[in-house]
Amino acid sequence: MAKSDPQAFLPLKTNWFHVLLSLSGQEQHGYGIMNEVLERSGGKIRLWPATLYGTLKRLIDVELIEESDDRPAAEFDDARRRYYRLTKLGRRVLDAESERLEDLVGILRKRRLEAL
Amino acid sequence: MIRFCLAVYRRLARAFPHEFQIVYGADVVQLGEDAIEDIAKMHGVFGLVRLLADLAWRVPVEYFSEIRQDLIYALRVLAKSPGVAVAAVLSLGLGIGVPAVGFSEINALLLRDMPGAKDPKQLLATEHSTSYVHFERYHDHRELFSGVTAYIGSLPFKFEHERVFGHLVSPEYFEVIGFHLAADGVVISERFWREHLNSAPDAVGRSVRLNGHLVTISGVAPKDFLGATPVAPADIFVPISMQAELVPELGNNALRRSDLKVFSVLMRLQPGATAKSANAAADTIARQLDGEGFEADRKKGQQVRLLPGGGAMPRPPELLPIIFGFMGTLMALILGISCTNLANLLLAKAAARRKEIAIRLAVGASRFRLIRQLLTESVLLALGGGVAGFLFAWWLTSAATTMYHKFPTPMPIDLDVRPDWTVFAFTFALAVIAGVGFGLAPALAATKTDFGPALKEGAVTQLRGYRRFGLRNLLMVYQVSGSLMLLIITGFIVLGFSNISKSIALFDSANLYLLSIDPVRDGYSPNQTAQLFEKLRERLQGIPAVESVAFTDVPPGNVFAMGTTVFTVPAAGSEPAKIVKSVKRDVAGANYFRTLRVKVTAGREFSARDEEGASIAVQPAILSEVAAAAMFGSADPIGRRVVNENDSFEVVGVVPNIQGETMGVKPPPAVFVPLTKGAYTKPPSGGMTLMVRAAAPGGDAINEIRHEISGIDPNLSVFNVRTMNEYLDQGNTLMRWTSMVYGGFGIFGLILASVGLAGVTAYSVAQRRQEIGIRMALGARPGQVLRLVMKEGATLVMVGSVVGFLGAWAIGRLLSALSPEMAEALSAKQPLLMIGAPVLLAALAMLACYFPARRSTGIDPVRALRQE
Repeated sequence: MAKSDPQAFLPLKTNWFHVLLSLSGQEQHGYGIMNEVLERSGGKIRLWPATLYGTLKRLIDVELIEESDDRPAAEFDDARRRYYRLTKLGRRVLDAESERLEDLVGILRKRRLEAL
Repeated sequence: MIRFCLAVYRRLARAFPHEFQIVYGADVVQLGEDAIEDIAKMHGVFGLVRLLADLAWRVPVEYFSEIRQDLIYALRVLAKSPGVAVAAVLSLGLGIGVPAVGFSEINALLLRDMPGAKDPKQLLATEHSTSYVHFERYHDHRELFSGVTAYIGSLPFKFEHERVFGHLVSPEYFEVIGFHLAADGVVISERFWREHLNSAPDAVGRSVRLNGHLVTISGVAPKDFLGATPVAPADIFVPISMQAELVPELGNNALRRSDLKVFSVLMRLQPGATAKSANAAADTIARQLDGEGFEADRKKGQQVRLLPGGGAMPRPPELLPIIFGFMGTLMALILGISCTNLANLLLAKAAARRKEIAIRLAVGASRFRLIRQLLTESVLLALGGGVAGFLFAWWLTSAATTMYHKFPTPMPIDLDVRPDWTVFAFTFALAVIAGVGFGLAPALAATKTDFGPALKEGAVTQLRGYRRFGLRNLLMVYQVSGSLMLLIITGFIVLGFSNISKSIALFDSANLYLLSIDPVRDGYSPNQTAQLFEKLRERLQGIPAVESVAFTDVPPGNVFAMGTTVFTVPAAGSEPAKIVKSVKRDVAGANYFRTLRVKVTAGREFSARDEEGASIAVQPAILSEVAAAAMFGSADPIGRRVVNENDSFEVVGVVPNIQGETMGVKPPPAVFVPLTKGAYTKPPSGGMTLMVRAAAPGGDAINEIRHEISGIDPNLSVFNVRTMNEYLDQGNTLMRWTSMVYGGFGIFGLILASVGLAGVTAYSVAQRRQEIGIRMALGARPGQVLRLVMKEGATLVMVGSVVGFLGAWAIGRLLSALSPEMAEALSAKQPLLMIGAPVLLAALAMLACYFPARRSTGIDPVRALRQE
C-alpha cells in the first residue's frame, strides 16, 4: 500500500503536515503533538483527540511515521504512552512539502514586490 | 460539567470499530483525560462541545474507512477469479432482474398513483359503470364526499381531422381530481397540446371542429394528466353540456335514465369519512333507484362496490394478495435458485480459502470482521448483479411497453411498465438481501474453521460419506426442487398460452380484410348514417373482387372475450325458467357467418331485413353451440325465446363456436344479436367494422372498397385497415410474449440447476481425490468409481425432484383455491408436463453430474496419494 515517491503525497493535508512537523525534531506522544501544534500556531490550531489519532493511524498505514521503541530519559517518560517518530519516507515527504510551500511563498513575495 | 463530558467522551470512544479500538482506544481516552482541563480553560463550553463533536464525527469516519478497506480487498479477491465473478453477476442479474420485471409490471398497474391527482388515496371509483341519475344522488352526499364526478371514456372524438380518445365529463371532473380548470368548453391534455398543436400559445380560446361541430378550447390540463383512468389515456375532455347530436353517447336521453349505466363515477372522500360508510351509502342509493326485480342475480349481495380510484385504474383490493402471492412465489423461486447457486459457488471458494481465513483468525482478526469481509464480497457481487438485473428489467419492460402500445384494443392503452424509482429501490433492496442471503451461510461456515488442522498442510482432506446432510447438499436439493417447481409452473403457462393462440379463431381467416368507419363522429346525423350504410352495402356487393361483406361492431377473435351478461330462458310447457350467466352478447350484421365461412348448424343467419331493428316485432338471435346446450340442453332451440335485460329475442339459428378452448377453459356461451340501424348511430369506440371476404388473395378488394367509400364521401375517415390475420396476430402478441418470457424463466432455472449440480460434483470429486486414489490403488475399476461419484448426484436429484414435485402440486392447489378459473385450467390434465418436466430436469442434471464425475476416473492413484 505504501508509495515510495514523496511527490505522490503532495500537497499534504494540513493535519498531516502539522503532525509530521511536530515529529521532525523529536519523538513524541499524542499529547505532545497536540500541545506542540497548539503552541506553534499560537493557539489557533488544535488537533482534537479523535482526529489526531485518526491522522496518526493513516500516517502509519502509509508508512510516513512509525511507533518508536526507544524511550526518552526516564524522568520524562510516561510508560502508558506510545511514542511516534518519522520514517525515512516521512522525512522526505516533509522536506518535499516544505520545499513546495517555500516555493509558493517565494512566488507570493515576488508578486508583492512587483506590485510595489 | 467536565466530569459529565468525560463520561460521554469515554462512552463514545468505546464505539470505535474493533481494530481501531484495540490499537488507539486507550490512547484516545487518555489524551481526552489529559487535555480536557486545558480545553475547558482555553475554549470554555464551546471547546467541550467541540471535543465531543470531534469524537462523534470520527467514529463513523473510522467505520467508513474499514468498509473501504473491505471493498478494496473484496475487489482484489474478485479480480483474481474474474470468471467466477462474471458468472455470478450474470446469473444474479437474471435472478434479480426477473423479479424486478415482475415488480415493475405490478407497480405500473397497481401501485402507481394517477398522475396529476391531488391526494389520490382519497379517491374512490365505482367498480361497474352506473347511470347519471345514480351519480346525481351520490353527489348529494356532502357529508361523505367532498366531490363526485361522472364521466364516460375513453371515447373516440373526431378533433378536426384526427381521431382522438377522450372523456365525456361532468362539470366537477377536474375539481374532484384536484385542480381547477374552467370546463365550459373542451379541455385538452398537455401532451396533445404539445404533440398535435405544437404547443401553440393561442390554443386556448381557439375554435375547432369536434365530431363535425364547432367548439372552443377552454383549457390545457396540467402536465402528465391523462384522465382518471391513465391506463386508457384521455387527451381531450368534453363537458356533458354539449348537445346530444355532437356526442352520440349523450343520445337516448342518457342523463335522465337510471337504467342506462354508461358512466364511470369518481368520488373524493370528505376528510374523516371512511370508504366503508361511503360504500354503504352508495349501495343504499343503488337499491332505491334500481328497485326490486332488476338484475335478479346481483340482488342478494352488495349492489355497488367502491374501489380505490387514485391509481392507474380502479383496483379491486382482493386482487393484490393473489397477484403478489403468485408473482411472489415465482420470484422467490427464481431469486432463491440463483442465490443457492452462488452460495454453493462461494462455499466451494470458501473451502479453498480456509487457510487464508485461518491465518487471519490466528493473527487476531475478529470473526465478525471476517464475516463482514466475506459479506462485503458477496454484497459487492450482488450489487453488480443488481445493476445487471436493473438493465435487464429496463430492456424487457421497454419491449413490453412497446408491445402494449401495439395491442389491438378498441381504445389506446398506455401502460408504461418501465421501472421508476420505486422499482429501482426494490431492485437495490433485492440485491442487498440476495448478497447477505447467499453470502451469510458460506461466511459463517468458513469462519467456523477450527484453524489448527487447516493450517497444517495436507490435513484438508477429510474422508466423508456421501450421505451427509451438509449445507451444500441441502442447497442442492433446494435448487433441484426449486427448478422443478419453476419448470412445472412456467411450463403450464407456456402450454396454456400456446393453446390459446391455436384455438382463438375457429373460422377461415385467410383473404379476410377489416376496415373501420365512424360516420357519426364525422358529423353525420342518425338519418344520414343509416342511408350511408344502406348505400355502402349496395355498392360493395357490386364489386367483383368481393365475395361477401358484413358489418360488425367488434371483429371476432378477441383473446379476452369473456361472458359478462345474463340471459333468461322463460318457462315453456313443463320446463321452469332458466338463468344462464356469463354469456357473451355479440353483434353480427347480415351475412356475418357467410363472410367468416362458418356453416350454420341449424336455422338461418341474419339477413339485411333483420337489421331493420325496432320495426320488426320480435328481434332474432343466433346461439353458439355452447349457448344452445347451456340454455336448451338437447332440445331444439329454434323458435324459442331468450331474454337479456329488457330485450326479448327469438332464436333463429345455431352456429358452431367460433372461439375455441383457452387454457382448458371452455369458451363462454355466445348469443349473436343483429346489428340494427339504431346501432349504426351509436358505434363502439373502435367504430363500425367492415369484414370483407375477398374472392382472391391480394389487396385488390380492399383498395376497391376504399375507392368506393371515398366516392361516396371523401371526408369520411377510414381507419384500422388490416387483414384478419394481422388483427389475430396482434391479439396473439401478448400470448407469444408471455410464453416466451415464462419459457425463458423455466429454461433459466434449468440451466442454473444443471450448472450448480456440475459445480457441486466437480468440487466433491476434487475433495475426494485421495479417497478415490486409494480405492483405485486397491483395485476399484473406473466404472465403480464413476458409479460412486454419480450416486451422490443422483441422490440429490432424486430427493430434489420429489420435493419439487410436491411443491408444484401444493402451489397448484393453492392457486386453485384462490381462483376458480385457475382451478378449471389446472385440472385439465397435463401429463406431458407432470411427467416430462421431472424427466427432463433429471436427465439434464445427471448429464451435468456426469462430466465432472468422469474426471474422477482419470485420477492417477500414485499422484493422488503422493500429496498425502
